[in-house]
Amino acid sequence: MTIEISNVTKWFALPDGSEAQALADTSFSVADGEFVVIVGPSGCGKTTILNMMAGLIMPTAGAITIDGRPIDGPGIDRGVMFQDYALFPWRSVEGNVGFALEHGPAGAAMDEAARARRITATIALVGLKGSEHKYPHQLSGGMRQRVAFARLLAYGPKVLLMDEPLAALDAQTRTILQEELLRVWGQALPAAERRTVVFITHAIDEAVFLADRIIVMGNGPGHVRDIVAVDLPRPRGDATRVDPRFQELVQKIWSQIKNEAYRAATA
Amino acid sequence: MGGLLIPLALPAVLVASWQALGEAFGGVRMPLPSRVVVEGVALFASGELPSAMLQSLGRVFSGFLIAAVLAIPLGILMGTVRVVERNLDPLVESFRPVAAIALLPMAILWLGTGTPAAVMLVAYAAFFPILVNTIAGAKSVDRNLVNAAATMGLAPRAILRNVILPGAVPQIAVGLRVGLGIAWTAIVAAELAVGAKSGGGGSGGIGQMMFVFYAYSIELSRIVVCMAAVGVVSLTLDWLVRRGTRRLLKWKAT
Amino acid sequence: MAPVVVYLRTMAVFALVWWAAALLTGNPMLLPDPLRVARAVVDVAVDGELLAHAAISVVRLTASLAIAAAVTVPLGLAMGTSRTLERVVDPIVEILRPISGIAWIPLALFIFGVGHGLPIFIMAYTAAFPLLLGTIAGAKNVDRRLVDAARVMGLDRAAIMRRVVIPAALPSLLVSLRLGVASGWTAVIAAELVGAPNGLGYAISWYREMLVTPKVIAFIAMVGVSGYLYDLALRRLNDWLTPWAVDTGARL
Repeated sequence: MTIEISNVTKWFALPDGSEAQALADTSFSVADGEFVVIVGPSGCGKTTILNMMAGLIMPTAGAITIDGRPIDGPGIDRGVMFQDYALFPWRSVEGNVGFALEHGPAGAAMDEAARARRITATIALVGLKGSEHKYPHQLSGGMRQRVAFARLLAYGPKVLLMDEPLAALDAQTRTILQEELLRVWGQALPAAERRTVVFITHAIDEAVFLADRIIVMGNGPGHVRDIVAVDLPRPRGDATRVDPRFQELVQKIWSQIKNEAYRAATA
Repeated sequence: MGGLLIPLALPAVLVASWQALGEAFGGVRMPLPSRVVVEGVALFASGELPSAMLQSLGRVFSGFLIAAVLAIPLGILMGTVRVVERNLDPLVESFRPVAAIALLPMAILWLGTGTPAAVMLVAYAAFFPILVNTIAGAKSVDRNLVNAAATMGLAPRAILRNVILPGAVPQIAVGLRVGLGIAWTAIVAAELAVGAKSGGGGSGGIGQMMFVFYAYSIELSRIVVCMAAVGVVSLTLDWLVRRGTRRLLKWKAT
Repeated sequence: MAPVVVYLRTMAVFALVWWAAALLTGNPMLLPDPLRVARAVVDVAVDGELLAHAAISVVRLTASLAIAAAVTVPLGLAMGTSRTLERVVDPIVEILRPISGIAWIPLALFIFGVGHGLPIFIMAYTAAFPLLLGTIAGAKNVDRRLVDAARVMGLDRAAIMRRVVIPAALPSLLVSLRLGVASGWTAVIAAELVGAPNGLGYAISWYREMLVTPKVIAFIAMVGVSGYLYDLALRRLNDWLTPWAVDTGARL
């Protein structure tokens, strides 16, 4: 599934009647099976672009296509991991993971037994075996993130759109989950079998660790500053982080964002 | 023992004073705690009190059920689809301040002084708290949950049933509690008013029984027995709703 | 589209449906058509009845609210700040609260007879509970740190009550006042239906007995309008007294 973002502009109406421009003439593409990360300072339109790819909002101008077809709404080919996970609090882990299969078109062709098998397998895949019957409020942040991820994997959209999924976690959990994410995504698999991922983060080291390519965005209004290819070898792990090339890339991107981030922090 | 002493102190003092002052200064009709207890036992044993209570309760549950069946789906719809809410809101806001009891004469005109009118009034009274709370509950559902379901391919109706409705349940439960309390007050009021207007005949139920005791009985302690019964039922109903909805809400973080 | 326009459009549709229903039942005593009711409204408005009865009910409500507040606000503040007092008084409150004001009517009829005293007692009683509980909650929820700050600044108990507790509890108090009005207003009508010589509840009952249904509906509508306006006035009062409080949009 290739996604093409072409000259997308987005204006939002503000409560006081005026308009704010979130994105200006933004263009980039995402190739099939690629892990693309979008980094940028706050307010550069990262979430807006993701929501547009998800089909939850429409561009004011420009087009977003998937495999050549324009995106006109949400669909089961594009799964979203929201910033706060959006787990259904009234359903258990099992209930959340199986939600799309039970109530959506994805599970229509499956019978009860097949669904149950898929759910169990997915829960095991993300490392949550034993917690099937727990409710979200009983889970830690890291566990909730895994449930949200499992929910996507269970019905298997071709494209995964992830909005700062690890932002709310502590640094240690975050590091662990970055590797978990790559494992589940299939970094050990041949490229053809991987899903397409578009991932948003603030953390540059996270971006470099995960990505095949990084879209560096800037503010005022949101636009693409640079596109950086990450040529670090896969599979990635602890060794990657101490690779000199890793630090080079981090510094290169940081120097681009630095001024804007500084301005935002002292505004 | 000491822990029980303080809470019981004031009620005990008040009851004792009531008994003493009533015996000394009250007339022959004066209700007294001692007589309240005696009459209470008698009314229970004779079956009069239980049957009146059951009659009132039957009306309350019927009216309450009707109100819930109407208000919850409508509330979900109004809380989710802005157009529906905007257009129906004038009607809701115009009728809500009209206390159910004000409609009693109309209800009697249309349905007579019996159970149908009582049920209609209870349904009307309970309808608004349930509706208002259901709307609030539907609105309170996190937009991201709706979005998540949309990206999973659910059609709008499926989203209403599987996301909005379960998400609104805590607030709906509040509405049901308030609604049931209002329903109980409404039925007592309606039965009382009908009893008063028709000179004691017709409606049945505990409200009417209270009025009959007032109008025709020498033993006014019976009124106090009824009042106590009203209070006990009120507490029990509230407890029932809370127990009933607690199971539905076990997913809520305490 | 402006809210007023939407309001009028919805009510117009409602009036049409009503008209159709009135035509179908064909019995003006059972269901008079909107025009007849409109004429009745004009009649009772012009001859002053509408306003007179409404004024009486409103005055009763206000008087009973004042009485209720005079008793419950000091009591609530005291109970909210003194654990012992709360433990002593609370049982009585919890015993009496489930017994609705309406249930007191027969006993109150015995004590007060028919007249002004009855509705006011019932309404004051009904409004007292939400008001009391709201005041207690408001007093309890006063941020301890505000109280400590005041003590550090040297204020004595009375001053703390006046300068810290009351303003901090005021928003909660006013919300519970609105709740008290809602149930008090219902109690007005009920009490007037049963045992008062005037007021909206009385008018409704009287015209029903006279079988002048259009006027019954006119007064019922007045119950709604008055109730709405009273709540509106309270909301304005709320905003004026406590501009710092956020309107949670609490509806009853």
